[in-house]
Amino acid sequence: MPDTTTLTETETNVSTQPTWNVVVHDDPVNLMAYVTFVLMKVFGYNEKIATTMMMQVHQQGLSIVWSGELEKAEFYAQQLQLHQLKTTIEQAE
Amino acid sequence: MNIAPTIEGGLRIDPESDEDWHILRAIVLDANDHEIDLASRFGSLITDEKISEDWQDIVVPDLRESFTDDLNHIYASIEAAAACPKDGETPIWITPEDAFTWYSSLNQARLALEEKYRFGPDPELEAENRSPLRQEALLRSHFYCALQSFILTHALTL
Repeated sequence: MPDTTTLTETETNVSTQPTWNVVVHDDPVNLMAYVTFVLMKVFGYNEKIATTMMMQVHQQGLSIVWSGELEKAEFYAQQLQLHQLKTTIEQAE
Repeated sequence: MNIAPTIEGGLRIDPESDEDWHILRAIVLDANDHEIDLASRFGSLITDEKISEDWQDIVVPDLRESFTDDLNHIYASIEAAAACPKDGETPIWITPEDAFTWYSSLNQARLALEEKYRFGPDPELEAENRSPLRQEALLRSHFYCALQSFILTHALTL
């Protein structure tokens, strides 16, 4: 048996794309039922999920309503602002 | 003023007095009564430096155009109905297709009023300190909110 050593190098590809959060903030104007309606319309969420997020906005002041790549986050935030929800985009930590 | 659902899934508004027409016309006036337009106010929420410049250049003008189109549409509907002869019925129709446009315009008006007067969560508590202008603005805001609730219940569909 020859006296040799085989080195195996393993490389794992992990996406380095940062994740972005689309955040809806509470405001004193938008009706609770309307916020639920918009979340269902823009994201296709069912009523239960949309209501849970709306309640989070109402009770905690904000809710992360979607997370993912920047391009889609921008699209969703634009749609939410078009529906006049107070929306920001933040890079996830 | 009477507001009633239609069998087509919309609403009809029947103004009955000059005061009714006055408050309907005030929707557009209130929505525009702000130094900084709504699209720019929303634009200022996007502060991340990687996105904010594009947002200001691309998204804000789109939002501005959409919000303005909504106000122009309901202004035209109100004035078209107001121009009809006084002796006939002059309802304002909100079709299901128009519902979001009306909702949006009313929301623009309420957002502008709230930013101007800061009514807060329970404006009834400060009734004694309310000026006549503030009182009228609060009443309009309540009316807009009630009309929004009608639209949401009877006309807005996914």
